[in-house]
Amino acid sequence: MSMDIEKVLIPTIIIRPGMYVRDLFTECGKLHIHALPYCNEKGIISGTVTLKNVMRFSCLPEHMIELASLLGNQMSCVENAEEKAREIICNPIEPYVRKLGKTIPSTEPLIKALALMEKNKSSYIFIVDDGEYKGQITIQGIAQVMSKLDNSCAIPGAE
Amino acid sequence: MDSHASAVIFGLDPLWVSSIIFIITYAVIVTEKINRSIVALLGAGLMISMGVLNQQAAINGIDFNTLGLLTGMMVIVAISRRSGVFQFVAVWSAKKVKASPWGILFMLSLVTALFSALLDNVTTVLLIAPVTLLITGELKVHPYPFLFAEIFASNIGGTATLIGDPPNIMIGSAVNLTFNDFLINLAPITLVIFPVTLFIIYLIWGRHMHASDEARERIMQFKERQAITDIPLLKKSLLVISLVIIGFLFAHPLRLEPATIAMIGAALLLLLTSINTAAEEQSEHVHKSFAEVEWVTIFFFVGLFIIVNGIEHAGLLEILANQVLSITGGDFALTAIAIIWVSAIFSAIVDNIPFVATMIPIIKSMAPTFGGADQLMPLWWSLALGACLGGNGSLVGASANLIVAGFAERAGYRIHFLKFMLIAFPLMLVSIVIASIYVYFRYL
Repeated sequence: MSMDIEKVLIPTIIIRPGMYVRDLFTECGKLHIHALPYCNEKGIISGTVTLKNVMRFSCLPEHMIELASLLGNQMSCVENAEEKAREIICNPIEPYVRKLGKTIPSTEPLIKALALMEKNKSSYIFIVDDGEYKGQITIQGIAQVMSKLDNSCAIPGAE
Repeated sequence: MDSHASAVIFGLDPLWVSSIIFIITYAVIVTEKINRSIVALLGAGLMISMGVLNQQAAINGIDFNTLGLLTGMMVIVAISRRSGVFQFVAVWSAKKVKASPWGILFMLSLVTALFSALLDNVTTVLLIAPVTLLITGELKVHPYPFLFAEIFASNIGGTATLIGDPPNIMIGSAVNLTFNDFLINLAPITLVIFPVTLFIIYLIWGRHMHASDEARERIMQFKERQAITDIPLLKKSLLVISLVIIGFLFAHPLRLEPATIAMIGAALLLLLTSINTAAEEQSEHVHKSFAEVEWVTIFFFVGLFIIVNGIEHAGLLEILANQVLSITGGDFALTAIAIIWVSAIFSAIVDNIPFVATMIPIIKSMAPTFGGADQLMPLWWSLALGACLGGNGSLVGASANLIVAGFAERAGYRIHFLKFMLIAFPLMLVSIVIASIYVYFRYL
């Protein structure tokens, strides 16, 4: 089995101006991915919107992250954060857009994509061919391809 | 001029060249438009490339005792804080006062002052501010008075010891003062300034504080043990911090400089936390610990030491010292009190580190006027008190103040510059009045 980007490509929607946080959450939840590309008014892929970023800046104040091990069920800050989570899904997406990370064309080797993900400390990378977004690949997708490589493992306990 | 110094390019007057570099560098640092370490290093580079100093003379001006002490303590704190011990103490102390708002303010301020005396102010507020925001959030009280009190506590606590605040580290290193010297001469007055400050804070905010029984019960439900994330690390950290403090206390009979003690402590803690770990894990741990050192501050010091060395060699500081003496008429008491007040006002407005770096050689050069270096001790205590306590005068007075303001803002509670200064500046002046009385009656 060859390790091509095409084999693990996950086609997704693109977040566009006017869309909401709910659109991001729905697509990411459905496809088990962490982020989506953002396309500006000129139709150019110009940024990234990640689940982590939205949650970090909307539901979790810095001091709660710092004291994560102290948080408990009865705390009002936990309730407030849950309430905040309910509110943010109707927020416009624009404030959460961050710089576009490294992208890679679909013709490149999968291992190069993996190396770039590692270099950028990311678990996904967007696939862009001549400015056109094709989808993304994730570390889970690559693991799945690797698990199907030809090499039979010894069965534990068998001679 | 030093024998190592080279000639200034185009035969320019070294006094003028070094003065212009000094003024421009400090002016750009004050604007805070460019990172202060970049500005200081560029200024230092200019001092060398323009020929005011050659490289060897510039390196001779760097106080490696200050840098070693700062770096060693930063490594120790970077490792220890991962254990969660500081948050544990903060939450534990809040529960000890049955979660009453004023009691919590008092206890968190006390913990802040103690930690600031033994660690550095910035680290202390980095650890205490999140706990404060969490606790005040649960109590449903405004965090501002708590954060305000902690800013003051960190600067007052830092005044008490050699390692508490960078100005003290610089003064201690320049004049060969020990940990005990600071403990004997500065700690007593901080024990007066701290309660007076808290009493005024009580009158302003404390007596109006109230929290519901339900909110207080929520604080009592906190499980402070959960803050401790690594018990073996906690034990190792406490052991090393204790040994380092004992080392500071006995530095004189041990014939060790503070930097050596801090560096040995850092190396020992790195060793203890690396034992029985794989080579790769060890390497990652050491790398992470060194990465947490505030290199911006360290390089800022390097640049400043070179710049100040440049103006010292060119003779500017001698001229400034003579100016100070002509203003005070060579009166020792007046000079000491003037140093406290000028240091306090300057430190409230600008960073106290460059100010102290400049003042140290100025005070040193006053030795012949006042009968030798040994007679200058009251002036050093005046400088330390003014520079450390002056940091309370405004939000930009000390790095710790800005850290607290940053935390508060990100949590949705903006601390306004003028609103803060309106109470902080007069309160700082109260501490300076107390410090002046102390210096006058004890030393003059």
